[in-house]
Amino acid sequence: MKVITCQILFIIISTIGYGQVNCYIFPEGSGERQACELCDKAIKYPQGSKESQQLFDEAIAIGPKFAWAYYEKSVPYFKRGFLLEGLDILNEAIRLKPLEYLCYRAYWYWQYRNYKLCIQDLETYYNLPKAYIQFTPGGEKDMRIILGLAYARTGNYSKGIETISECLNTYDSENDFGFADYHSLGILYVKSKQYDKAIEVLKKQLLINEDIADSYYYLGLAYKGKQNKEEAKRQFEKAILKLNDIGRYYNANAGFRVYLSDVIEAVNTLQK
Amino acid sequence: MLKNNYFKIIIVTIILISGCQIAKKSQQFYENQIGDTPFNKSLDNSNFKFCDSTNVLHKRAYIQYTGGEKALEEELIKKYVFQPEHKGFSGYFIFRFAVNCNNQTGRYRIQILDPNFKKANCPKNLETHILSISKSLKDWNHAFYKGKDYDGYRFINIKMENGKIVKS
Repeated sequence: MKVITCQILFIIISTIGYGQVNCYIFPEGSGERQACELCDKAIKYPQGSKESQQLFDEAIAIGPKFAWAYYEKSVPYFKRGFLLEGLDILNEAIRLKPLEYLCYRAYWYWQYRNYKLCIQDLETYYNLPKAYIQFTPGGEKDMRIILGLAYARTGNYSKGIETISECLNTYDSENDFGFADYHSLGILYVKSKQYDKAIEVLKKQLLINEDIADSYYYLGLAYKGKQNKEEAKRQFEKAILKLNDIGRYYNANAGFRVYLSDVIEAVNTLQK
Repeated sequence: MLKNNYFKIIIVTIILISGCQIAKKSQQFYENQIGDTPFNKSLDNSNFKFCDSTNVLHKRAYIQYTGGEKALEEELIKKYVFQPEHKGFSGYFIFRFAVNCNNQTGRYRIQILDPNFKKANCPKNLETHILSISKSLKDWNHAFYKGKDYDGYRFINIKMENGKIVKS
């Protein structure tokens, strides 16, 4: 139940950011109203189709200040490897409404592994006076967790830990946590060799969601760091079992991805 | 007099036609789907064929590499030959390509970006080498979606720092 509530909350919040816009908030006959109605028509066609892209173009021609049209038009470009084209279009949406669309650009910077630009956008965003909680487009992670992971990807683990901890501290209760929030924090503790804290946090992760294979791998690494080879081996074995479970939780935007070969290698190093 | 009018009509017609052409030019051309990549004889291998060119998927997650992204990356790194002259290059190579229902690849297109995600130039021999090792990846598994085999498009993003491939 807790998990379902969490998921619904995430979806609601994430759609506020990127979802459909209510066209009636614009005065009848205004360029923005007409553009909005054209976009409503456009999204009924498959994403990235000629029909939808042409309608977005029409919307932009009629209401050039209607940011949502640029945002929607940019999405298929990002998803299909046209980064330059996607950015050109999305930048217009950000110019018009930075509060709404900066995080989306940061998300794609993150996806395309440009951590420096991702950090830059998210730092700018969280410094805006009206910044609100935003999530990855799939709704699974608070963008502050992405910022923390991005710091970690540039090697700054302490700033990553600080950012994720601060984010989690703003939640009223663990009911508001995402399925992999403790996991993300746990990874950074392992990476910065704070094994006791890593174990504490990863155990909490297993109480929220025990279906991420990588959690067991990192827990194993933490025990290994504490010279507890027996427990490390137990956790690595659990990781292998979980990696073979197709029903496991895949943890999108993990930042640090674990493969079967990593776990097998970890087991082998234990035996040396 | 008649001759003069005739001349005016010609001028007006020319202006109208050129006006229409300008209007046409301003409308962007789209393929049926963003990412559809028609055959270009100067770039593409004519042996690569789609099993059903009318129904090519644009769902990148459904095309997977045997051993996952890690195996793909390790193979690229293994095949990549570092040249000291490329030490000055940092940036990204984004390759879009198609994988047909027989797991063959084709229609490679590339974007080269600098560390600020602006269009970049890189030494031609580096671009050729990266393209050739990307094309040499063979363990692709075509899209299987809703119980059916599909041709599909996907892309890979190779990040480079000081002329070396960066692990993800």
